[in-house]
Amino acid sequence: MDLFLQQTVNAFALGGTYALLALGLAMVFSTMGLINFAHGELMTIAGYILMACGLAGVPFAFSILLAIAAAVLAAIVMERIAFRPVRNASGATMLVTSFAVSMILQVLFQNFISARSQAVFVPEILSESVRFGGLVIGVNKIAAIVTTIVMLILLDRFMKHHRIGIAMRAAAEDFSVARLMGIRANTVIAGAFALSGFLAGVAAVLWVSQRASVDPLMGFTPVLKAFIAAILGGLGSLRGAVAGGFLLGFIEIYLAAYLPAGMQEFRDPIALCLVVLVLIFRPNGLIPSPALKAEKV
Amino acid sequence: MNKLLISTLLASAMAFPAAAETLRVGVATAQTGALAPFDTPVIDGIHIAVDEINQAGGIDGKIKIELLEKDVRSDAAQTSIATQELVDEGVSVIVLPCDADPALAAIGVVTEAQIPAISTCASSPTLPQIGGDYMFANFPGDNVQATVSAKWAYDEGHRSAYIIYSPDTQYTTMPLYFAEVFEKLGGKMLGEDTHTIGQQDFSAIATRIAALDPQPDVIMTSTYEPDFPSMLKALRAAGVESQMIGSDGIDSPTTFSLGAVAEGLVFTTAGHPTEGSPLEAFNKKFEEVNGKAPETVFNAVGYDLIKVIEAAVIAADGSTDAQTLRDAIANLENVQGATSMITYKGTDGMPLREVSLIRVKDGGRELIGQPTPDAALIPEPRVQ
Repeated sequence: MDLFLQQTVNAFALGGTYALLALGLAMVFSTMGLINFAHGELMTIAGYILMACGLAGVPFAFSILLAIAAAVLAAIVMERIAFRPVRNASGATMLVTSFAVSMILQVLFQNFISARSQAVFVPEILSESVRFGGLVIGVNKIAAIVTTIVMLILLDRFMKHHRIGIAMRAAAEDFSVARLMGIRANTVIAGAFALSGFLAGVAAVLWVSQRASVDPLMGFTPVLKAFIAAILGGLGSLRGAVAGGFLLGFIEIYLAAYLPAGMQEFRDPIALCLVVLVLIFRPNGLIPSPALKAEKV
Repeated sequence: MNKLLISTLLASAMAFPAAAETLRVGVATAQTGALAPFDTPVIDGIHIAVDEINQAGGIDGKIKIELLEKDVRSDAAQTSIATQELVDEGVSVIVLPCDADPALAAIGVVTEAQIPAISTCASSPTLPQIGGDYMFANFPGDNVQATVSAKWAYDEGHRSAYIIYSPDTQYTTMPLYFAEVFEKLGGKMLGEDTHTIGQQDFSAIATRIAALDPQPDVIMTSTYEPDFPSMLKALRAAGVESQMIGSDGIDSPTTFSLGAVAEGLVFTTAGHPTEGSPLEAFNKKFEEVNGKAPETVFNAVGYDLIKVIEAAVIAADGSTDAQTLRDAIANLENVQGATSMITYKGTDGMPLREVSLIRVKDGGRELIGQPTPDAALIPEPRVQ
């Protein structure tokens, strides 16, 4: 029983990180229909800022703020330079643009920083663990879970009560009608990118503090997981992205924990089969976006 | 027209002896992509060696080395294309990427053209086996590294072990060799776990190992960064206190900056700069050239690669003919590299070279030893 509880805590921590990532993707997708595959590179940028701050001796708490700020800034710049010119192009064009941005950034990191992983200073406290009865919970797990909960509450309030949040929700429902109501497309889309950058920055801090290193290709795995989680939850739906992230985290951890040793090699394909299975029964995801009009034929 | 033809023929006839004064070395390695962390430092080492030799007048004082470099972007298909281009440009030797998979992608081209090829730092012993007569490696084999670490663990009094490996590449299956040797010595394997390269979270595995009673004395893995720090931190955070053993992939500054969790970690690698050693001299030279100390032993491994080629040209009496060079490399004995003595004679292309056992102490390296493993203990290479 203890073992099960322990694995459930692991699942919450991993699922929470996935939820933050998926939310970042869903935020942009819901407003402009773009899957931003360069989302992972926003994390890498935040990671490099953490690395640089560590080298410069900046206190960790302050370097977290700088890293998140850098991710927000990078997201806004990315939207302005790369995505605004193709905003009205087809979905495929935007997708290819996002791949291009991602690759260009990766090569820049490799050539101008280093192809090798760079060490990131992480306070010792994050490597320690706390005991609750029979449970041993890593401090970084607790940090991940608490951060996710705080972020989700803040975001929920922002989307419900803040003017830009409300505008973003309106834009997600129907962009053209929202514009007719006087909502500025540029503001809403830049806002969505800034928020996705913020989420990427927070996720990056959690991700990087777990591995204590940052490398040029770091963004690939998280963005892939986020993409799967966002699809699983219902693309374009913010609550869905959170649900999808948690479900994916639970599937991965429980498979790693309870598949027999001989089957462990097939963990990833099995996880993806489960995702497909969910989608067969709920083709629009767990919590579909109201804007998504896909039908089961 | 005839005049032109004759003058062209004359010119090429005159150019021919001059061409023999240069050794063209084709370099098709990963300067970008997932293998770049390993290939780029090797190339830095290669440049140091080539400049050193050329400044001294060339190999044997007369044959200059010309490098023709191509980036294969860590992609198998691109490696094969780049190799073909290099063959067309008339190179005598080809340098291939670090990992066995892209290196093998080029083997058809290399064998067809009958040009010897050396991987920068692939350590899978199956590479030259599958690659055939023209494929050579430039690193201590996985099976040899695992034998050294298993023997050390057993001699330290550790009797139970656990392995964590990834079936994704040949290299990351090194723990299977470790398990084989450890059991042969009389140790007991308590279990194994697998992971995917690039996996973020190791907490499920860590929880499972922490729940074992008793815990394993040793945990061995050949996972490298960025997965390794994550795995190590997860294990320690879950309360696992076993001795950790890794391999050359973690010979990197990241490992030494992990702080308390990495303390006492032991790993195998290609060399250690003991006082007065060639590696110490190489590191000094590297610092002179680049203005900073080398981050990893892979720089020196690149230097070694050119030393091997130089020795082969000398052994072949200054020939730059590919076939002659292949035979020369295959018969090389005791070439002094920066990391160790290198011998190819009597092997199938996997060099015999020293393995260094390093322990992380106070965030730095401590040399445990550079043992030569008992040949009877070394497992047969196998495709996992």
